[in-house]
Amino acid sequence: MRSDREITMIQLGSVVSSSIIGVGILPLPLFAVRAGGAGAPLVAMLGSMIGFAGIWLLVALGKRFPRETFVQYSQSIVGKWPAAVGSLLIIVYFTVLTAFGAREFGEVVITSVLKNTPVEVTVIVMLLLTAVSCRQDLTAFAYIQYFYLPVILVPAWLIVILSLKNADFINLLPLWGNEPQGIWRGGLSIANLFQTSFVISCIIPAMKHPNKALIPCVWGTVLAGAMYVAIVAAAVGVFGAEEIRLLLWPTLELAKTTSLPANVLERMDAAFLSIWVTAVFTTLHCSYTLTVVSMADLFKLKDYRALPIFLLPLVFMLAMQPQSIVQMYTTIHFIGQLGLLLTIGYPAVLLLIALARGKRSDGVDRKSLEKNGLPDLPASD
Amino acid sequence: MASAKLTNRLDDTLQDLDRELGKNSDFKVRRFRVFGRYPAAMLHFSNINDQELINTNILKALMYLPPHLPETDRTSEQLKSAILQDALYHSESKFEREMSAVVVALLRGDTAVVVDGLDEALLIGTRQIDKRGIDQPATEQVIRGPREGFIEPLATNIALIRYRLPTKSLRVETLVLGERSHSQIAVCYLEDVASPKLVSEVKKRLSNIRLPAILDTGYLEQYIEDNNISPFPQVQYTERPDKVVANLLEGRVAILADGSPLALVVPTVFNQFYQTVEDYTERFLLMSAIRLARLVALIFSLIFSSLYVAIISYNPELIPTEFAVAVAGGRAGVPFPAIVEVLVMEITMEVLREATIRLPQQVGGALSIVGVLVIGQAAVAAGFASPITVVIIALTTIGSFATPAYNAALALRLLRFPIIVMAGVFGLYGIVIGLILIVNHLLSLKSFGVPYLSPLVPGNFNGMKDLLIRAPLFSMKKRPAFLYPRDATRRSSASVSALKEPPSDVLSPANNRENDPPKEPLP
Repeated sequence: MRSDREITMIQLGSVVSSSIIGVGILPLPLFAVRAGGAGAPLVAMLGSMIGFAGIWLLVALGKRFPRETFVQYSQSIVGKWPAAVGSLLIIVYFTVLTAFGAREFGEVVITSVLKNTPVEVTVIVMLLLTAVSCRQDLTAFAYIQYFYLPVILVPAWLIVILSLKNADFINLLPLWGNEPQGIWRGGLSIANLFQTSFVISCIIPAMKHPNKALIPCVWGTVLAGAMYVAIVAAAVGVFGAEEIRLLLWPTLELAKTTSLPANVLERMDAAFLSIWVTAVFTTLHCSYTLTVVSMADLFKLKDYRALPIFLLPLVFMLAMQPQSIVQMYTTIHFIGQLGLLLTIGYPAVLLLIALARGKRSDGVDRKSLEKNGLPDLPASD
Repeated sequence: MASAKLTNRLDDTLQDLDRELGKNSDFKVRRFRVFGRYPAAMLHFSNINDQELINTNILKALMYLPPHLPETDRTSEQLKSAILQDALYHSESKFEREMSAVVVALLRGDTAVVVDGLDEALLIGTRQIDKRGIDQPATEQVIRGPREGFIEPLATNIALIRYRLPTKSLRVETLVLGERSHSQIAVCYLEDVASPKLVSEVKKRLSNIRLPAILDTGYLEQYIEDNNISPFPQVQYTERPDKVVANLLEGRVAILADGSPLALVVPTVFNQFYQTVEDYTERFLLMSAIRLARLVALIFSLIFSSLYVAIISYNPELIPTEFAVAVAGGRAGVPFPAIVEVLVMEITMEVLREATIRLPQQVGGALSIVGVLVIGQAAVAAGFASPITVVIIALTTIGSFATPAYNAALALRLLRFPIIVMAGVFGLYGIVIGLILIVNHLLSLKSFGVPYLSPLVPGNFNGMKDLLIRAPLFSMKKRPAFLYPRDATRRSSASVSALKEPPSDVLSPANNRENDPPKEPLP
């Protein structure tokens, strides 16, 4: 069931990028502007850096334990039962994240395109799509993420470039915003959107060369972070900070204001939103795969193919908990901030303990690898 | 009976064979005397072998003692060697002891000669089955390229391959499959190119097949493919020997079956289905553009009608206002929602298409005219469909005709229907959900372990030279890496460097001045 350790560096980079870019990009300028006003791009940049810290911690841990997943090495670092509690929290957290991701996008769809469809339907469709795709092994997972990356990036950049026509640079000044003290809090809330990249803790052990994981992770984060900064800058440039505070999904509004040259498509928002299904799908695919694989590791299941469907009713019920969009965003924000403790704080503690106790498994592994001659092979990607 | 051996008594053997095969009116037994003294019988099925050859090369040759042999009494061993080495004028002959093997050989068209005193039957390959001539491949026409296509008999097909590849590394291994048909199956590969693991896997999968008869390679395909329920073909079939040879040279394995004019090529990746022979025989720039057009047609055939449904039903604001008004005007008299209209038209089109294939050729033309005129023009006039729907359906249909591989076009044609339904229910959102499901399926599909979308996923830059475009031949120095060929280089770099040298302008005016006196008088 597990993959054949075939995942390449480019695929890892794509996983990082497409896991980060998800439904969160729609309200992203709003979050950034709330915290930093005109300094919103700076907030996005800061958020990306905090997000990268979490990714770096996982890569560092992944290098120390190149053939183990997060659930497995946390057990050898802090012992079986404390680690089980931590892993369970991670599993629950990403189940919630999957549920809310699907809910958030379901709300977007029924608000802007399918106005007569109940939100339950759009949510269940998205969750079913994710669950069906999660039945495949990790190599297929990496292929899927790799394949969709251009589908995600190209339209988003297209929106950014096309909106330059309407943008006014003065809206972005002063660069650091009017209340620079809010930038830190804003950075943390942007960092929430980076948490799905936690999935690399399952992907790194399935790589061909786990010790080369850092560079693709840097590139993946840079691609996604640049996308974030560009979207925020474009939204602020077009609407101005004060206007954005009044918009629920400024990125979608940005798509509405742009149109292709020569009047091929009069409005872009519906087309953009449809293509954006892909981005949402890849993010949900990441978080759900993480849930399922971690669960399989925790309960020592060999075959996790039944889990995605089995968990689906639970995820759906979780997704339906918030009563309204407002309540949903409050909950997402609150849980996201707590989640940072789990996705950045917990790995940091683990890494410190691993350093202090001198725990690592790459030494042993390296010997066996050398016997097989794997690490000496040149990377083929 | 099946494992019984022949005895050395002629009458017993004939009795046994008569019990096995005697009820057939075309089973003939002809008694004669070998060299004029040893009683013998010749047995064959009269319709599947060459009578002329039997008369002169078997009967005549065996009846007379060759002039250079002395007329003496012979032991059975001596008789055997005299028959085989001195008397018989035929290359394909051998002695066989097993009764069942003799029966099978007779049924396949061989001739058996049983001689009194010998406990083995002489089997002579006299099989001759009528075959049609080598024709233009009907389903894979090219403008530029060889005109030969495979025909049914395996021997001819192997000959067509061998004649293009007279190299010692071409291996043709045969196995017999089909409990009743005893069909010959040939596995062809280049020993120094194809991955040995692939070859043994192909042979393993083939040898596991248990079928009463192999009527076509299509039966084999369904037993050796990786995923049986996928709509996408994971094995390519072709009736062009040159295509088979090109695939062998890339490191693939070809499978041919006796009685089938279609060879299978494994492993297969998706991009093979929109490549044609001309892509390589014509200039690369033009064919790259045409390949892109083919790809557009492929995508058209999958999503064009569903895009129409989604935009008309959910997002008419996407298209320019003037056009939207025109579309709405065209649809004014149509009582159905767009999805019903499109589905009805698509199904009608499928019916029409199927009817045109099944009809005799003489009527087919008439049907397509009636189909186009009646279904197209009259449906619009009757207010049953809007003109723009007809245009859309025509485009998707033509799009699916432009896909060179019939089975891949079929898959996309079929998948169009669920996507239209998704578009009708969820609009553009539904189309994308449907496409994601299809693409995820494609991404997880494998053919003999090769990811189906190779070389796009997992990425391989060298392979991408032959993916969307077709790079110049000299730049494709490597064989496809995903096939793990034993010899990765397709072309030596020497041939490339010779090509890169500036051409010598032997006939340029600068080198051939008219008023220059000829240096040497012509003889």
